[in-house]
Amino acid sequence: MQVGELLRSWKTWISLGLIIFLLLVPFLGIGGGYLQTLGFLTFLFVTLSTAWNILGGYTGQISFGHASFYGLGAYTTSILALRGINPLMTMPLAGVIAALFGLLWGYPCLRLRGQYFAIATIGVGEATRLLMLNLDDLIKDIPLLKDALQDGVLTGGATGLMLPTPEDIGSYAMAFYYGAMGMMFAGLVVSWWVKNSKFGLGLFAINMDIDAAETVGVNTVYYKNLALMLSGFMVGISGSIYAQYMFYIDPQTVFGFPMSIGMVLMPTIGGSGTLVGPILGAVVYIVVQDRILTANIEIGTFKLSLSTLHLLVYGGLLVVIVLFEPKGILGLQKRLTRRWAKRGVEVAPPRKMA
Amino acid sequence: MTIDIPALLVSAILLAGLYATMSYGLALIYGVMKIVNLAHAGVMMWAAYVAFVLIVEAGLNPFLAPLIALPVFFVLGMFIQRYFVSRVMYAPIVSSLLLLFGIWLIMQNVSYLVFTGDTRAITTTYTLMTFQVFGIAISINRLVVFCVGILALLVMRQFMGRTYMGKAIRATAQDGDASKLVGINTDRVMEVAFGLGTALAGLAGSLMALIFAFDPDFGRSHLLKSFCIVVLGGLESMVGVALGALVLAVAEALSVLWIMPALQDFVSFALLVIVLVVMPGGMVGLLAKFKKT
Repeated sequence: MQVGELLRSWKTWISLGLIIFLLLVPFLGIGGGYLQTLGFLTFLFVTLSTAWNILGGYTGQISFGHASFYGLGAYTTSILALRGINPLMTMPLAGVIAALFGLLWGYPCLRLRGQYFAIATIGVGEATRLLMLNLDDLIKDIPLLKDALQDGVLTGGATGLMLPTPEDIGSYAMAFYYGAMGMMFAGLVVSWWVKNSKFGLGLFAINMDIDAAETVGVNTVYYKNLALMLSGFMVGISGSIYAQYMFYIDPQTVFGFPMSIGMVLMPTIGGSGTLVGPILGAVVYIVVQDRILTANIEIGTFKLSLSTLHLLVYGGLLVVIVLFEPKGILGLQKRLTRRWAKRGVEVAPPRKMA
Repeated sequence: MTIDIPALLVSAILLAGLYATMSYGLALIYGVMKIVNLAHAGVMMWAAYVAFVLIVEAGLNPFLAPLIALPVFFVLGMFIQRYFVSRVMYAPIVSSLLLLFGIWLIMQNVSYLVFTGDTRAITTTYTLMTFQVFGIAISINRLVVFCVGILALLVMRQFMGRTYMGKAIRATAQDGDASKLVGINTDRVMEVAFGLGTALAGLAGSLMALIFAFDPDFGRSHLLKSFCIVVLGGLESMVGVALGALVLAVAEALSVLWIMPALQDFVSFALLVIVLVVMPGGMVGLLAKFKKT
């Protein structure tokens, strides 16, 4: 696309306006920092969604175990931070550890195809959570490994780990707002690059027909593992940022199945296998989680807290999306545009090929 | 700590009967429709609650409850197949996976709403009864659960081998298009197969409720175990599934000797990975074999 064409497109201006608005959010002070927190979470979830999409959307390997990467990233940072290392320095390591972990289970599990891989990932998620929950007890009698314990604590079991909070929490949170924003854009650039590279073409080929992909010379094992590791790396770094922002992590939150469910849902809602879909999906997911699911309905004596319905809402969303619009919001948008076009309402004339 | 290994093995074998029942449901649905039923976990969990309501609230005999669960879940399975799964039969595999995952989540939430997240257990007069054979204590509860599970599998075997519908199911599993050509109503066959698979999961779930404590999150580790068993035993036959169930149950029981009980669920996953690494073809190799026969 030419620069001039970019300038004329309304999409460019809207995105530009949105970015400027997001950059200004911490200074606007809307809702007493509420918007900033919401923004931070949105950036985090867009990154997660984008990362999952590289494996689940582009490559078509559905993973229900991505929480393991998230948790490993969070734990790597927390454990090292409690041993006096600057948490920021641990972020690359958190990503690398998550990626290596991805290789560790991806190598055997990616031999499985499609749905069997998906079920194996449920196992990965469960196994990792159980392992981290019991790691302290497990290694306390093993000679070499027990040196990793600090006052008898490595992962802290079900209690989790608490990080010290900084004195100036306001500017700390603001720094992380921008940090998460940067991470999100980096993630999107990676996703864009993957989509437009030879690597990405290979992934799309695997998604469409793995046997055919192999026949035309795609090294499917290598590509699938690479996609998993890249995805894990991004999720690991997100986990690390989450731990630094929240100061507290425990296995049920960061390794929990709901975390994995979220990462499946977001790209699916938006339209998996696309660049923009996961962003839209993550925004919808955050809004649903933050606005709708915290609401309480009261009609007379009938009281209903919607937070008890979150699995129903997510499950229902999945069923509806799969049955009626498998391509998510993006698919819906395309379908609507087509319908309007048929009605003869103003449609831009087809662009001439240059 | 001394562990009585013969007793451990006996209880493992008894558990294997139950494992075989729940895994065969998964294998049956996979065989006919080539989809993995993630809602399997939800069905087992619901069945456990059905058993809970029937036994604890309605005061029914514990071993009658599974018999009531069976037709209920058969109908539920047919319903899911007819109105949901059949619509995505020819879509990419991802669709059916996400669809059934969504159904599972909904089932979980319904249980949370109706029964809250508390852990439940069914304690009956049979629960703690045991008898001795050659000095090994055998729990009556587990023995009956084993017998019911095995009986269900034997009935299934007769059904698959002797009735028209059973043969039609096997034919469809071998080649769907060819079955259509010879006049089998494959849509109907798929409904029945999904119903049967769900009914087996329901039976297994209501039997499990007699042995284990459960909550709305209950089915997940058992779905994983079923999957592990199916991978271990292959999809070829009921015998394979039974063998896989036996291997997993024994491995789990013996794992107590080496690792802490809290990590027992870890075993099924570790076993799964080991099988995949040792048999380089993994599931694909087994599937290829499955298709040839």
